[in-house]
Amino acid sequence: MTTIQIYDPALCCSSGVCGVDVDQQLVTLAADLKWLEQQGGKVERFNLAQQPMAFAENAVVKGFLERSGQEGLPLILVNGEVALAGRYPRRAELARWAGVSQFTVTAAPAPSCAPGSGCC
Amino acid sequence: MRFLDQTPPFLFFTGKGGVGKTSLACASAVRFADAGKRVLLVSTDPASNVGQVFGMAIGNRIKAVESVPRLHALEIDPQAAAQRYRDRIVGPVRGLLPDAVVNGIEEQLSGACITEIAAFDEFTALLTDGALLQDYDVVIFDTAPTGHTIRLLQLPGAWSSFLEEGKGDASCLGPLAGLEKQRAQYKAAVDALADASHTRLVLVARAQVSALREVARTHEELAAIGLTQQHLVINAVLPEGEAATDPLAAAIRARERAALAAVPDVLANLPTDYVALKPVNLVGLQALRMMFSDAPATADSVSTALPEAPDLASLVDEMARDEHGLIMVMGKGGVGKTTLAAAIAVELARRNFPVHLTTSDPAAHLTDTLEGSLEHLTVSRIDPHTETERYRQHVLSTKGKDLDEQGRALLEEDLRSPCTEEIAVFQAFSRIIREAGRKFVVMDTAPTGHTLLLLDATGAYHREIARQFGKSGERGMHFTTPMMQLQDEKQTKVLIATLAETTPVLEAAGLQDDLRRAGIEPWAWIINNSLAFARPASPLLQQRAANELVQIDTVATRHARRWAVVPLQPQEPVGIERLSRLTAHRPQPTPA
Repeated sequence: MTTIQIYDPALCCSSGVCGVDVDQQLVTLAADLKWLEQQGGKVERFNLAQQPMAFAENAVVKGFLERSGQEGLPLILVNGEVALAGRYPRRAELARWAGVSQFTVTAAPAPSCAPGSGCC
Repeated sequence: MRFLDQTPPFLFFTGKGGVGKTSLACASAVRFADAGKRVLLVSTDPASNVGQVFGMAIGNRIKAVESVPRLHALEIDPQAAAQRYRDRIVGPVRGLLPDAVVNGIEEQLSGACITEIAAFDEFTALLTDGALLQDYDVVIFDTAPTGHTIRLLQLPGAWSSFLEEGKGDASCLGPLAGLEKQRAQYKAAVDALADASHTRLVLVARAQVSALREVARTHEELAAIGLTQQHLVINAVLPEGEAATDPLAAAIRARERAALAAVPDVLANLPTDYVALKPVNLVGLQALRMMFSDAPATADSVSTALPEAPDLASLVDEMARDEHGLIMVMGKGGVGKTTLAAAIAVELARRNFPVHLTTSDPAAHLTDTLEGSLEHLTVSRIDPHTETERYRQHVLSTKGKDLDEQGRALLEEDLRSPCTEEIAVFQAFSRIIREAGRKFVVMDTAPTGHTLLLLDATGAYHREIARQFGKSGERGMHFTTPMMQLQDEKQTKVLIATLAETTPVLEAAGLQDDLRRAGIEPWAWIINNSLAFARPASPLLQQRAANELVQIDTVATRHARRWAVVPLQPQEPVGIERLSRLTAHRPQPTPA
């Protein structure tokens, strides 16, 4: 099964509640991740402010941070290789990586988000 | 003293810095111990002077106070606790990840919430340790957790995310994941706090309108979550006798009586005690034992040689030279930020500069009296509650709209954290600071260094571009971020307001450190409401005035690059005329 890992920048709370404004990207991403989960895909997320060891222990992520700094995040690895950096993936990209069809759900899924999903 | 009668085993004192919580806690502890009870006194003040009060070193282990039989004491430093927490998270990656990244993580973990939660973590053990109540009859804390912390701990949703997976941080409580205690222990601690047979909360305030208003808010917030066993202590009330001989003392007493007559309704029914102002700061056992005595304090007249001290007028002279700019008056609640900002704005407008004064004055009476009253002066108001509410509603209606009940409750509570208010106010604030290129903008509110650093994530990127442009020697490329504007002294002057008392000066120094972290160097300090410079005739006030000199000297020699002293005014400085007195040039004492 494909492993998708998202390395978030340091967020006080990954809800972004503590940021300048609510980040629409994070809201959308949370909805997309929820959707992907329903399709059987799985994504791991790491917050730099709370799990920095996860960044230090992965050579690819560590190297990326050294080159591009925190501003380069988020970083998305698929099966351990860099798939995307500097922005969050769109639903179509997630679907392609996970090998699920974007069109399996006909009714538009309500974007939902639950505690721990990273959006709240 | 009703607050000392039939007390439950836990006694918490709460109130803002400088109202005398620690003194009251110490005096109460001595009182109980003298009466034969076994007492543990717990201080959570980061600059605890409990040791100094008893003339011994205490520290973070329970220690017997030798001079008082049956009394033990313990000092918990919440900032040290927060630092230990940061070290646990950041320590392992130091040297592994780039320094800039490590520093960024540390800043994320430097908010007020983290310190609060770390402090709560520290005294959870005391509240839930059954053995403790076999050793002690009374446990006294010189501080109490805020409603926000307690409510967060009560929410089941706050716990689920990190308990389930050990990762994912639903909220500002996320940090607790890194702390050692178990959920059951936190729950027991919260239950003990809300149990009237266990806990009494003593609200401490001064007889001042703003202090009473603030304590009323604390009362309502804590009562709403079940901490209903509350008492009110009005500390340092000026005794009637002093007013007879001294017009200044008479004026102070009249102001105090007016404030007490208008005490907010929610406080009116609380059991209330009044503690008289004492001539000296309560250091030493003898002074502590005097604290609750009704015998009129006798004080000898002292004549104090006042040091040479710059006045506010001289600071305004220097500000006026730049002809425009942002002037931010910062400081803890109750030090008179709004009044000082208004006085500076009025003085600049009188000198024919266009001035925009924007205040967060909750009473708005200052705004009302100034609006339209002076040419060149415009006044506006940022109401923190309105701004915060607007921001909360925005967040709840956008990202909260699809949450389940638990998730929504959690998000709502997160939005009650102190950070939220700062961010909401910052947004209102950013709209106004742009005007400062053309005129003077004077504000009585400002985000802390921590907030600025967090909000500067994009600013860092801009700085990088600026650096590159600078390198290639290109000129004419012209842009600034709000952060750059705040860091540039030509554009922004930060004034730190404080009082000539120990705790307010320490708090102001903490604020200055926080700003320095964000690369902002405060331009000047203002010591407001100085009794010494008001030259009292009452012996008691003269003694208090003499005590101020040490703090004034500390500010002048250790903290401030520029400073000024503003004397205590006999009348509330409201309206153009009275505000102008604050910026009048003061004749300097002629050297003897």
